[in-house]
Amino acid sequence: MKLLGVVQNNNSELCIVQDKSMNVKIDASCKGSDFPNYKTLINRDSLIGGEAVEGDGVFNFRYGPVTGGVGEAGIYNIYTYGEKILSVNIDTTYKKRNIEKLMIGKNPLESVALAESICGNFAISHSIAFSKAVESISNIKIDDETRILRGILLELERIYNHIYVIAQLANGAAQKVLSSHLYYLFEESLRANESFTGDRFLTNINQIGKLDISLSYEKKKDLLLRLQNIKSRFEDLYSGSLQSGNFLDRLHNTGIITAQKAVEIGLSGPSCRASGIAEDLRTNDYENFEVISKKEGDSLSRMEVRAYEILDSIKFIEKNVENLDTSKEKAQRLDISDGSCVEAVESPSGTMAYYVEIENSKIKNIYVVTPSVTGFKAIADSLVNQIFTDFVFTVESFGVNFADAAR
Amino acid sequence: MKFWPFHGLKQNLTEKKRYDTDIDIKPLGGVFSKSLHIFVIDTGNSNALNFTFKALQSPQYNTHRFGIFFTAVPRHADLLIIAGPVNRKMVEPLKETINQMPNQFGILIINGCKEYDDYSDFIDKKHIVGKIDFLPTPDEILAVLLKVANRGAK
Repeated sequence: MKLLGVVQNNNSELCIVQDKSMNVKIDASCKGSDFPNYKTLINRDSLIGGEAVEGDGVFNFRYGPVTGGVGEAGIYNIYTYGEKILSVNIDTTYKKRNIEKLMIGKNPLESVALAESICGNFAISHSIAFSKAVESISNIKIDDETRILRGILLELERIYNHIYVIAQLANGAAQKVLSSHLYYLFEESLRANESFTGDRFLTNINQIGKLDISLSYEKKKDLLLRLQNIKSRFEDLYSGSLQSGNFLDRLHNTGIITAQKAVEIGLSGPSCRASGIAEDLRTNDYENFEVISKKEGDSLSRMEVRAYEILDSIKFIEKNVENLDTSKEKAQRLDISDGSCVEAVESPSGTMAYYVEIENSKIKNIYVVTPSVTGFKAIADSLVNQIFTDFVFTVESFGVNFADAAR
Repeated sequence: MKFWPFHGLKQNLTEKKRYDTDIDIKPLGGVFSKSLHIFVIDTGNSNALNFTFKALQSPQYNTHRFGIFFTAVPRHADLLIIAGPVNRKMVEPLKETINQMPNQFGILIINGCKEYDDYSDFIDKKHIVGKIDFLPTPDEILAVLLKVANRGAK
């Protein structure tokens, strides 16, 4: 059992948990405070990470919110003694846009765009998780084509996010040729999104009960060609990067998260799989799904997991895109009924879940579980006892965003 | 072991095309036409804009050939790009960032998302070179930057 989130509901707390068979649900019998990550999840809107440290020679190195190194509006409070990092806490409030509050009182059909705007690079994950929750409340059935196409869109998002993370790692390690070529692939994968769906970040495609997309034979063929190009180039670059001692030295044994620690934090996604826990929500959706995992739990194994997932995602798309037929016109009545439900998807960085409560066809309460909250906690914990030089390799390898954590 | 310099030199990934835009821009011109240094400040966008700027720094666009460089600190920059609607908490950091810009400088506002509040009223109008009200593609941003630099007009 893993605690994913704590919903405040009429002065009581509801726990969103993930059970052994990877189902995400509300468990009324659970008490939040029994879980070790309860405090992190409760305080996710203030400070994530360790305690502030004071004393002789301890310096609070405040990194952010305006710096070239972080790139997003957020603060890392790094408490150092000499070179050694004693404690880290992360302030995400500079990016807070209160999107959950904006969604309350709106019709679910109009709120998909708001869910997408929580985090631009996880847009389709947010969108699909939200619409899955609304669909299971209102008993809207999804046909197989839409389900497979949603799977393909999730994999497209995974490909560009994973390439981005590896490019950032290479950039941090001053591997200029490798990082430039990976940024090239990053832009190519965004262009593949644009030519396939019409939007570089896959927004405005998914709606409740349906997908607003028309696929022609040319589009599918073009996507396959582009992915083939990305795959062959990426394999070449990746195998080359694994022979570069300089690069591997920076990543190996950096930012270690042990399996026990990962469970305590409630980590999910590639960073959790790199610690030796083979957990992936996609095992429930697809037959014979092979989960990629590594044992070491350092930045290098997180990069390896992501690299293999890129190749697997490309394989998945190649297998499924050919037989898609979206030409059929599907007339469907969209009646929103009342109720509450929690649904989850596997986003590029981990489990993303939406708890939605609907009353009178309007959203009454909503709680978003994002992978970046636990990811930031893992960053804060794994930076302790390291030196600042390893900061970039630790932070980038988790692939988390302030936008996603702050909402 | 892979010989990286050779791998880098043997292929040219830069695209050759014209970058044009209809967006209304007040060019900085002058000394900036051949060298424009840019600092991007994230004031609360949905991250799509941050990713677009990362994509703009990819070899396809090769902004360096136009003399366009991204800096890590506002003190080295000629143009400040405000990426996203300004969050209430980002007002003070933004004021300080504008304060740190060397004279003379320009401000380009890109306001990708319309849903949330924007606290950017305090910015001095005389510095603003342009405003973009949608999420632009790297092509469009590069075209705007070339217009800001007033390249071509000698």
